Amino acid sequence: MASVFRDSFLQTALAASLIVGAVCAYLGVYVVLRRIVFVGAALAQVSSAGVWLAMCVGKNPSVVSLLLTLGGVAAFSVRSRDRRTTQESLIGVGYAVASALAVLFVAKSAQVEARMLDVLSGNILTVTSAQVWWMAGASAVAVALHALFSKQFVFSMFDPETAQASGIRTGWWNLFFFLILGVIISLAIRLAGTLLVFAFLVVPAVTGLLLSQHLGRACAIAIGAASIATVSVLYASVRMDLPSGPAVVACSFVLLGVAWVVSRFR
Amino acid sequence: MNKKTQCETKAVIMAFEHADLGYGRLSVLTDLNLVLEEGDFLGIVGPNGTGKTTILKAMLGILKPMKGQVRRSPGARFAYVPQRQFMDEVFPLTVMEVALMGRYTLLGAFGRPSRRDRDSVLQCLGHVGIADLAQRPYRVLSGGQKQRTLIARALTAEPRVLILDEPTNDMDIGSEHAIMELLKRLHDEDNITIVMVSHLLNVVANYAKKLALIDGGLRMVGATHDVLSAKNLSDIYEVGVQVAEYGDKKIVLTGGNDG
Repeated sequence: MASVFRDSFLQTALAASLIVGAVCAYLGVYVVLRRIVFVGAALAQVSSAGVWLAMCVGKNPSVVSLLLTLGGVAAFSVRSRDRRTTQESLIGVGYAVASALAVLFVAKSAQVEARMLDVLSGNILTVTSAQVWWMAGASAVAVALHALFSKQFVFSMFDPETAQASGIRTGWWNLFFFLILGVIISLAIRLAGTLLVFAFLVVPAVTGLLLSQHLGRACAIAIGAASIATVSVLYASVRMDLPSGPAVVACSFVLLGVAWVVSRFR
Repeated sequence: MNKKTQCETKAVIMAFEHADLGYGRLSVLTDLNLVLEEGDFLGIVGPNGTGKTTILKAMLGILKPMKGQVRRSPGARFAYVPQRQFMDEVFPLTVMEVALMGRYTLLGAFGRPSRRDRDSVLQCLGHVGIADLAQRPYRVLSGGQKQRTLIARALTAEPRVLILDEPTNDMDIGSEHAIMELLKRLHDEDNITIVMVSHLLNVVANYAKKLALIDGGLRMVGATHDVLSAKNLSDIYEVGVQVAEYGDKKIVLTGGNDG
């Protein structure tokens, strides 16, 4: 297997995939536990719309994507007090509007249309080492911040009322978590595409949660599952000329299936 | 009782002064005047949707009064035991991890739980009789064990006041009795002031020493034996209620003579 990864562009692709997979899998455990899986999808879609918008108007895709994603974060993190609607419905609206905008931007620009598949399914093989360093730095900061304040995040999610009574500002911590998530999604999409980022946020996390009754171990298993899927699929995609993003999703799903079977027999 | 004892007054821990409580513009309780004193075992009862939980939220500082004031004694530490049904059990947390959350308020924003914190949590788990469950996943516990975990979590904050919302909801009578005896022990032996909301009148009647009847406002507050009468309960529940005594126990029954 090592011989396959001798080429520097493959090493870069491998590093990018491993970093994106690990950070998304780690945050994904909290996304799944917080029951905001659809936020991941919606933020990924908003971020993609930002990339396409930037291409249409000739601006920096990373900056526009990040700004739009932060707007999505601000909107989705607010817990609606209006009993006639739900937070979920707001996220659904965001997802639908972002998807529609993306199609409109694509329709308006031939350049965008040509790169549409890359943004959707990702082309990890064309990633530059500068992008990898940015992603690595952002991921390290995100995980460090999350780990540093994990007690506030977990308490706010598990029992918001008591957390609030204990002086923890649950609204702010909620927003902070969404911010971390938004920044990571926005950066990761530029490397791995909407489909793979969303899959990394959900599938390895579910694998970890199926196999462990302990939060820390569930995170470790999720990161491990994302890494196994990444390495094995990159190897296979080079050998068999497969699109890497969808292949990683398929492999992650196989690992999830194995985890489900194992969890049944334990 | 000598003159000195008669004149002794208990320290006031919290006082609602002409407080209106509610959500947004919706007022749930108006002109609330209620005093919580050191050593109280206060039961808050009333029909559904009349503001019992709203009072608890105001006591905890989660809800600010729309009008009037809620005064707290400086330094008084409150701990909360919510309805256990509100915990999100999808979280893979051990009993120890859940109980440790009670220490967070003492740790500050950046503090990490130390060995001393863990020892303190183990001691609290032992105090409520579940030290052997410390490493068990919280979500696999029985209702009574979960309630004990949440009480232990509250105790780890070393509180002066324990505030409980429906602590024996959906429990069988064995678990209900055990939890109430635990609360009685915490009150009697550890001198913890207790406030509990419950719709189970038979539970509150036999443990609370002071009762507050709530129905859109404070209808009555006082010693349980003074407040717990057929007339008072019939008035606020709008159904015939009888209060009987069986040995040293009080029994609240519905039906019979209306009012």
